[in-house]
This record gives sequence, structure tokens and C-alpha cells, in this order.
Amino acid sequence: MIKQMLKYRTISYEQIDQIGHLVLDQPPSNKMTVEFFAELGEAIDLISGDKGLKALVISGKGRHFSAGADLDGLLSIVKEESQQSAEGGHVSVNSFLAHNNKTFLSIGNLEIPVIAAIRGACLGSGMELALFSHFRFCGEDAIFALPESTYNLIPGIGGTAQAVKILGTGKAMELVLRGNTFSAEDALTLKLVDRILPRRHVVDMSIDFARKIPDSYRKEKVMLYIDRIFG
Amino acid sequence: MAEITKYVKWETIDSIGILTLNNPPENYLEEPEFIPVTLLQTLIEKNLIKGMVIHGIGRHFSGGADLASLFEMTKERKTLLSRMDKGNELLHFIENLNVPVIAAVRGCCFGAGLEIALACHIRVCDAKSLFAFPESNQGLIPGLGGIVKLARQTSNMETMQFVLQGDLINAMEALTCGIVDHIIQDEDPMEYAVKLLHKMTDDRSMKVIHYVMQALRNSRTLSFDDAVREETKMFCELAVEEAERRFNNEE
Repeated sequence: MIKQMLKYRTISYEQIDQIGHLVLDQPPSNKMTVEFFAELGEAIDLISGDKGLKALVISGKGRHFSAGADLDGLLSIVKEESQQSAEGGHVSVNSFLAHNNKTFLSIGNLEIPVIAAIRGACLGSGMELALFSHFRFCGEDAIFALPESTYNLIPGIGGTAQAVKILGTGKAMELVLRGNTFSAEDALTLKLVDRILPRRHVVDMSIDFARKIPDSYRKEKVMLYIDRIFG
Repeated sequence: MAEITKYVKWETIDSIGILTLNNPPENYLEEPEFIPVTLLQTLIEKNLIKGMVIHGIGRHFSGGADLASLFEMTKERKTLLSRMDKGNELLHFIENLNVPVIAAVRGCCFGAGLEIALACHIRVCDAKSLFAFPESNQGLIPGLGGIVKLARQTSNMETMQFVLQGDLINAMEALTCGIVDHIIQDEDPMEYAVKLLHKMTDDRSMKVIHYVMQALRNSRTLSFDDAVREETKMFCELAVEEAERRFNNEE
């Protein structure tokens, strides 16, 4: 039974039996545009206020999770803002990115389980979004990378700090500085994903998994839920 | 390869600094400050390195402190403490360098040798490497921050066992408990480390490397939320520069 459905332009959200399903909806690559980040922020605000919700699953429409930020769009607003702040006589932290930070931190801090259901490409800020989720399940075809350093940048929405939390300093350093792509198998070995699932069923199985997590969910115990539910 | 002190060699190849512990066969450390910190600093700055490898000459990384010279230092209690402090300062300096540092381990990596390796950001070793904190067998404990750093890499329980038992563990066990990051087959760990550093730093500006290192340090020293915010600030600065470059190229 679909209880609630919200349609944005770049994402869609539906809620079935207290499980929220947020879909990055700009196929094929589900690029994270300026508009996307604004809509994601709104959706996450709504979701965190929804006391009836039991879990949140995030996936990408079509073949890919997300190829990451729309770099040209992003750099053009950075440029605009830096000109404005130069004229205004003060340099502020880019408010757009501060907003995205807040959104990703809210996702990490949600009291309910947040599951990233990853198929295909999961790159840059797409991967940062996955890193802030509490569980990461992916298909055999998934490809990961934080390629920012190869563009003279660094991950901009907390990807480094979150990678340290999951992987430790050394592995995080390699991931961020090398910026290389790696496979689902590699991601599993690194413990960057929790399970590899059959590609066609990544989303279904993630939603099914979400249903089975007890109401007493605590995110410190993610491994315990994985062991219990998958057996 | 230049001998810069009696027990340390240095070489810079393609922006990678290679520091060799040179007291074969076991590469015992005569002093906790195995290279004067000011000398290391000069080498790093003068050679504009983008990464550094620490390894031991010959078959072993290091067997640890030379106990005879350690006990010699205990004759004057103050002397020992001040020398140990200098060793701590050196390891602190290495750990906080703003370029990546890899320990390339072969053979024995014991005691103070392991403490040096743990001060590096990444540890790689060959399949025959052995690791231990044998201090408790001699009525001592690791003295250069080894317990703290090990607890950060593994769990408290594993650290306690490892330090109190003082037993050797092999490369596979070290990988499992998080002491090393990679076991290298069919290649010298030192060569692997140099290649890895090139993959991490070639075509990256010094600023990008420094900012990544800063972001990683922040995740240890700041609250999580603050570390994330600082990361975004650094991203913005780089993004402004990148936007300028692209904008200028278009004109």
C-alpha cells in the first residue's frame, strides 16, 4: 500500500508501509545538480520530521546510483559566489555546500536505519551520500570512486571524514588521494559495502531488509542486524 | 643513496623521499630519535617531496631499540626521559606530515620499530614479515606511543593481548587485526610503496595533497561535524581556484 508519494523534479519519494524509498531520479547518471541538492535537503527535512517512518532506502533510478556532482554547474556557482563575496568584501563558506553538509549530516544522524541500495556507478558525492548511509548494499556491477583529487579537488561534503570512520586513516588516505575506481568485490573486502546482492534485486532486497530491522534500531549495531537478517 | 647519519640513509627519487634504517642486520635503534627531527624536516622541505617511504636495509625493518644502549641511558633517569621525549617528537612529526608516509616492512618489525611503522600513515609488508611488542617480556612496555596508536588501529582487547602476551604475529594476522594495510606478494614492499605513493600523488597539486592530509588529521583532532565543515571549507577554496582556471581557459 502506497501511503504517501512526493514528486520532485530530480528525486522521487514514496512511502510504503512505513518504509521510505528515496530515488535519485535523473537517469541515466543521476547527476547531483544544484537543484537536486536543494530538493534532497527539503526531502530529508520532511523525512526527519516523520515520526511514523521506520526506515529509509536510497537508490538511483535505472542502471546507476549516481555519477556524482555536476561539476560544471557547481563550479559556476562557486565562481559567482566568490565574485559576489569579493565585491562584498568578505569571503564566506559557500552557502550551497554548507547546505549540502547539513543534509548529509542529517542523513547520517537519522534515528531510523538508512540503507543505500547501490547499482552501477557510485562516484564522488554519490559515494559520499552512500558513505553517510548506515548500510550499503550493492549489486555485482557496482563501481565506486572518490575521484575528486584527480580534478584538483577534494571530496566536498564530508566524504574524507566519513571514510576515516568506516575504513581508518590509511585506507581513507589511499581512497581519497588515489581516486581510482574499484569494484563491488574490492568494496566488500574494504568493508566499504556490507553485502553484495544480485543486481536485479538490490532495491527489493534492501527494502525487505529495512522491514526486518527491529524498532529498537541502534546504528552502532549495524553489523548485528546484517548477520541476523541475512543469516 | 646518501648516508645522512651513521644509521640512516636518505634518497629522493621523483619527489618521493626514501628513508632507510641502516644498522644491519637487525637495524636496531641506538636512539629513540633515530634521525634528528630538524634534519628530517630540512630534507623534506629541501627536496619538495610529495610522499615518503620508511624501510629497513637488508632483511628486516627493525628489531626495535638496542636494549644495551637503552639501559645505559637509565643510569641517569632524566636523560632517558628527555631522549624518549625526543623520540616521541620525531614520531609525532612523521605522523603529522602533510604528505603521505608509508612503512614498507620486511622481516622483523618489533618494539620501537613497530612504533615507527605505526607512526606512518599506511603499512605494507611482505608475507614473511613478523610483528611484536616484546617489551613486556623484559618487564617494560612500549615507550613511544605504541599502545595508543595500536588501540586506534585495532580494538582495545586485541591491543591488550598483543602488548601483554608480547608474542610474534605473522603478516596475515597483522592484516586481519588492522596493523598492516597490504601484504605484498612477488614484489619488494619498498617498490610497491613507492608505486602506491606515485598513484596517490602524481598530477596532484601540493595543495590538494596537503588538504587531504589536513582533512584526515582533522578527523582525528576535531569533532566529526567540525571535521566535515573544515573539509568543505578546503573544498571551496580549491573549487574557487579550479573555477578560475576553467573560466580563464574559456576566455
